[in-house]
Amino acid sequence: MMTPELILMAEESAAKTFTVEGPLRSIPLPFLKDIFGEENACISESIVSQWVVMIILAVLFFILGRNLKLKPEGKRQVIAEWIVGFFSGYVEESMGTRYKRSYGPYIGALFCFCILSCLMGLFGLRNPTADISVTGAWAIITFILVLYTKIKTGGFKGYMKSFIEPMPFMLPFNIIGDFANPISQAMRLFGNNLSGIVIGGLIYYALGSFAIAVPAVLSLYFDLFSAVIQSYIFVTLTMSYVIMADADA
Amino acid sequence: MDNLGFVAGASAIGAGLAMIAGLGPGIGEGYCGGKAVEAIGRQPEASGAITKQMIIGDALAETTGIYSLVVALLLMFANPFTGMTGIAK
Repeated sequence: MMTPELILMAEESAAKTFTVEGPLRSIPLPFLKDIFGEENACISESIVSQWVVMIILAVLFFILGRNLKLKPEGKRQVIAEWIVGFFSGYVEESMGTRYKRSYGPYIGALFCFCILSCLMGLFGLRNPTADISVTGAWAIITFILVLYTKIKTGGFKGYMKSFIEPMPFMLPFNIIGDFANPISQAMRLFGNNLSGIVIGGLIYYALGSFAIAVPAVLSLYFDLFSAVIQSYIFVTLTMSYVIMADADA
Repeated sequence: MDNLGFVAGASAIGAGLAMIAGLGPGIGEGYCGGKAVEAIGRQPEASGAITKQMIIGDALAETTGIYSLVVALLLMFANPFTGMTGIAK
């Protein structure tokens, strides 16, 4: 995790100026000027690391899901079946049997993407989840799923009526409550990841040239523990919001 | 007085003050964890379900702390007040 080269690099950067990386870092792409005619075209680092995550996951699951047999022969298929079984069991436990087939793949994909994104900081790339537009996009997907479930199970009329329940004067609170869920969900993942980066930067700055071992311990908490817990919370909250929106449940 | 310096200093103090809000979620999560331990002590066989509920409760209690963190981060990285001094950041 903390190789000597990394510590040296951190020392150098801390010695020059105090820079804790802000919410967004961009990579300029001069060649895009010829294509789009945009002067300062750039691509954010979170997009780049998201593509890395996507390539890793695509290759991994392509290898795992190739040549499936009815009876598992090698370890590969056992691992693949364990992953699929784990996620469908988890969805079944949280949402009931009806949602197992429809939500199992989405929740599994979201969790794998989320946890690998949170762990990207360990490989020297920036966490895509430390960017509000990434976590915001995932929270908007949850919001759309909740809206879809509400209208599908309760009908459009029932959805409109849910705003004035239990009392008509609750209307503004219900509207705020509907929009607060995705905002708080996005902010939670974003805030946790970015606070890890900021606190890491502050520690490197404070320790200066003595930044040995202490950042590694903190990184264990902020990068590993926080990443796993926050990904788990993100998918669990997605499932509980959807199941709460279900009028039949 | 140097306007930008004043705004930057006041923003730094504001960012620090905003993080006082971390007290609330800390106390709340402490209660949450304590109660979960009590419940597991009473019913050890239900520890899986209790831990799951505890983590969700922790996440919800954390929300206000995260909001204060976002305010502090805004003041540190995307300060809306530096524009008022008339000097580009």
